[in-house]
Amino acid sequence: MFKVFAFIKRNSELLSHNEYRAGHIGYHCCNSRRLRGIRGYLVNVWANESLDSKIGRDYSDIIINEPVGFNDLWDGFPQVYFDDAASWIKATAIEPNRATENGLSKDPDWTLSNSAFLFDPVDSSLKEFKSNHLKMDEKIIIPINRPEQKLTKIIQFFKKKSMIDGLDFKRTISSEYSQKLSKMEGLKGLILNFRDHDINAAINGFYPDDAWHFSQQGYYERSKFTSLWDGVFEMYFDNVDGFKAGRIGSTLHRSLTALDEKLFSSVWYVEVDENVIIMPNRDPAPDFYYR
Amino acid sequence: MFKAFGFVKRNLNLTHDEYRAGHAGYHNSFGRRLNNIRGYILNVRSNYELSTAYDGSSLIEQITLSEPENFDDAWDGYGQLNFDTYGDYLGARSPSLDRAGKNGLEYDPMVAKVGNDLEYLYSGSPFQFCVDEAVQVSVIRPEKKLFKLAQFVKAPANLSPILWRSYLAGKYCSALSVMPGLRGLVLNMRTPLDIMSGFFKPESEGFTDNGIIRRESFYSSWDGIIEYWFDDASNFFVGRAEDSLNTYLATLESELFVASFFRELDETVAVLPNRNPPNNFYFR
Repeated sequence: MFKVFAFIKRNSELLSHNEYRAGHIGYHCCNSRRLRGIRGYLVNVWANESLDSKIGRDYSDIIINEPVGFNDLWDGFPQVYFDDAASWIKATAIEPNRATENGLSKDPDWTLSNSAFLFDPVDSSLKEFKSNHLKMDEKIIIPINRPEQKLTKIIQFFKKKSMIDGLDFKRTISSEYSQKLSKMEGLKGLILNFRDHDINAAINGFYPDDAWHFSQQGYYERSKFTSLWDGVFEMYFDNVDGFKAGRIGSTLHRSLTALDEKLFSSVWYVEVDENVIIMPNRDPAPDFYYR
Repeated sequence: MFKAFGFVKRNLNLTHDEYRAGHAGYHNSFGRRLNNIRGYILNVRSNYELSTAYDGSSLIEQITLSEPENFDDAWDGYGQLNFDTYGDYLGARSPSLDRAGKNGLEYDPMVAKVGNDLEYLYSGSPFQFCVDEAVQVSVIRPEKKLFKLAQFVKAPANLSPILWRSYLAGKYCSALSVMPGLRGLVLNMRTPLDIMSGFFKPESEGFTDNGIIRRESFYSSWDGIIEYWFDDASNFFVGRAEDSLNTYLATLESELFVASFFRELDETVAVLPNRNPPNNFYFR
């Protein structure tokens, strides 16, 4: 599937972090869940209490060079799934999904135009917002099966050591490292994602050529953010204590930490609150409107 | 939790597939923003005939008991709403503070109207009732479309409702719960509690004489719904056809049901039910 992460910072002039949650998960998703051809849609918002604070001193044992103020750069990241790049690029072409007196019609009120009130605006005109839309190459290590309760989701950000060959790095992360990580007790799901090295891979054709993203300033800001990490693991547990026990309190701890030191110039963790807007459907799409 | 089902018949301006798009698309987009909602599922009647579409479909005729004629004329789908309390359900249809605007977060009055499309999406009012549920196997959803079934069952007149529920939740569903590939099993009993007053406008069709007749006629066919989730259709057909289970269930069915019939459903998870205590922030 074609998978996109979009790291987004709120409009901090107008909204607190919790207000941003409501605006994103509420009104914004009311429109964006109707993107044409969308096959899955999750919105991850960083948790109000940091892992550092929840885990305590042990947290410092599992991180390397966590960027200072990393969460100031974003408030949430939607992850969307499409069948392919072509479907993604055409996603904003609206389709009939509103019942009216004339039968099924295109919704004349459908809009994403309030986005600059919600997200970090490019300028005071509030016509555009800044985002880091990134194509992700994923590998499912343990498929996630969601119960009818909120799971704890933890994102492990990692950056490759510069002296390690890129292919060797991917091979080791995809095999040895992932296998080891997958043995953490209490783990409910594990997905590995490498960021596409082309930071335009998700936005070519999606945004117009004159969009902020392609401007010199836009490219500079996006490069700066993406240079902080090369990939992420999505991990699911029942709760943070489960993560702590599985990652820190287990026999795996030493060997994982040794691998971290060998492979990563930086590695750190962020807990996010995952909102399931559209349950991802990895099977072929049905031949009818389905979300 | 408080749980409600609302059965709806599509507006005759729409085909069944157009109704799907209108419900799973526009309508659910507003419904999922109802204040304090804790779960929201849409079930649309499948385009497939269970009795013909699958390997093993002939089983359906064997295990169907007194299916009412033209049952599907009365509905195209049903929604499931979960709230913490009945009060939350009644208060859900109010403007929601979840839209970013030039002054910060603003109220959206369209949520109070759930998109204001009811008269174009449905024929008349939903048949909405409170559900007494028994979770037999907690639903676990993978990242794919599951095969979901609804078994409509009607109690015999000579069995007390309390005993019926007890037998159904006990020995009948216990027997079902061992079927291979089962991802979830929930028993839902329709209750007589009036949850339409205070939720729908007083002038709604559901409160007219004709609306009451229409609803009561639909309700007369069944008293409960057993919902099944499987990885795929073969899990159900193979599992249910297994000799000893099928014989045992058939015996129970002859004692417990005066009617029992199945439908396949296409499930949209508009808000994944969260049975944990609520969060102190906006969460869906």
